Amino acid sequence: MDTILEARNLVKVYRTGAAPTAAVRDVNLAVRRGEFVSIMGPSGCGKSTLLYLLGLLAAPTEGTVLLAGADTRTMSDGGRTLLRRRHVGFVFQRFNLLPALSAEANVALALRLRGRPVGTDAQRMLEAVGLNEKRGRRPGELSVGEQQRVAIARALVTRPDVLLADEPTGNLDSEASERVLDLVGRFHADEGQTVILITHNERVADRAERLLRMRDGLLDT
Amino acid sequence: MLPVANILARKVRTAISVLAVGVGVALFLVLVGLTSMLREIADRTTNVQAHLMVWPASDQVVLSGGLPADKVQADLERIPGVERAVPVLRWPLKMAGRVQNVYGIRPEDWALFAGPDRIVEGRTLADGDEMVIDTRLARAGPYRLGQTVERWGRSYTIVGIAREGVAGRVFMPIQTVSRAMSQDVLRASFLYVRLARPEDLRTVREAIEARGLRVITFDEYYDVLAESFVDMDLVIGAVVFVAAFVCFLVILLLVYTMVLERTRELGVLKAIGASRLQIFGLVMAEAGLICAAGIGVGFLLTWGSRALILDLQPLWTVAIPPVRFAYAALLAAGGTALGAIHPALRAARQDPVESLRYE
Repeated sequence: MDTILEARNLVKVYRTGAAPTAAVRDVNLAVRRGEFVSIMGPSGCGKSTLLYLLGLLAAPTEGTVLLAGADTRTMSDGGRTLLRRRHVGFVFQRFNLLPALSAEANVALALRLRGRPVGTDAQRMLEAVGLNEKRGRRPGELSVGEQQRVAIARALVTRPDVLLADEPTGNLDSEASERVLDLVGRFHADEGQTVILITHNERVADRAERLLRMRDGLLDT
Repeated sequence: MLPVANILARKVRTAISVLAVGVGVALFLVLVGLTSMLREIADRTTNVQAHLMVWPASDQVVLSGGLPADKVQADLERIPGVERAVPVLRWPLKMAGRVQNVYGIRPEDWALFAGPDRIVEGRTLADGDEMVIDTRLARAGPYRLGQTVERWGRSYTIVGIAREGVAGRVFMPIQTVSRAMSQDVLRASFLYVRLARPEDLRTVREAIEARGLRVITFDEYYDVLAESFVDMDLVIGAVVFVAAFVCFLVILLLVYTMVLERTRELGVLKAIGASRLQIFGLVMAEAGLICAAGIGVGFLLTWGSRALILDLQPLWTVAIPPVRFAYAALLAAGGTALGAIHPALRAARQDPVESLRYE
């Protein structure tokens, strides 16, 4: 299998306080297409920062990310946006659905932002996550588990090469968590979806094919 | 889709913002429309079969003294090129709740002010204590044919009603007005002068001015009238500024609050693939929709306010030509663009990671 995402000597230093803080320190990582990787570590160890770097939402202080073979080191913000749009889907701990839009419109938005026709794709994706009958409801009218399933549908409707999930079960009860993890696992198993999942929960991390641990900004491969 | 959904999701705030923009638009249209009263007065005053107005040199147009009517008339009619001079004696008379400038004229001069077909009811002036009023004053009064108006113990009978647009709202025989003003000699507030050939206007003007009198052509009259109302252009400019500023301020506050409130949402949009340009476009589209709705509401408010003003003050004029609606829309759009552009740029430049962490 070829490498879809690679981090080389990745460093991220925040200079907001009195002293600079290194959130990510010299991380090297290669993820193959179709692989399910989980990154586990305690709160504040830099997991989310690493995920944002891998998803090109943040620029590294040092090092580079290669996504689908493209080196992002010298890329402009616009270039990174285009690459992220083409290859990455995000799922967050707090779902982050747009409250003014229905479930279907939230999913369709990801297509619209890419200038793609919506057609029946949004509806089919909601069907795939078992929420077709609730497609007209707004996030506030859905349970937290359902909201996260809509968020997964939104992330995957564009058929991204990589799904980046930041603590996707962090706000869910155990039953809803199982359902969400089953869903992610099913997309990985059935459609070869590449998944990088951040968690501090061992049981959740165990769902992945490869488990990486992170501590104080360092990745233990 | 998203801008519409966002607007509809915050109904009260949207309604207030739309209303505020609407008030700005209506403010501009109604207040500038009210300044058309001067234009209406100027148009009426110059709607006479003549070319010039001759006033006493030292007085203002609005508050004139008086000229010896017969002497000045004869003198003016001796000037080569002058076909006729027509004295007018103005007299303030309260009718329909407002002071009207009665036009005291010689009954035989009526044809210069209007043809006989202009009389829609009754007849033209003859002599004695009678008056002809225009249709607008008749409606505002209301006054009807044969009704009398009392002033200082005398009764003046309405003998005719002329279609609005004639120079005065009230006409009376000049002798009657002179008597009412207790003049010993017939005087004129000003005279209309009709030329035999309009091309002689410059030479006739010079000849009249050489007699120490002030000449105002019909083309100049509006400007002269506007000058007597101090800084009219300044007032209109201030109204335009206030209207645009209201739109600007409302939209600035609205969009700025919206960007702050939806910081996290903007981060999410970036995460799911929105470019800076798309974020900028979304924010501007939302402001644009509110502006468009505000313009619509503003037009409705203008229509309502105008109707109310004319109901309360039937003799006022609030003229709003269609092109001014376009100006009002442009004004609101300009204010909106200025107000929205900074917060929209701020939204577009926001760091997505910081936005996602925003509580």
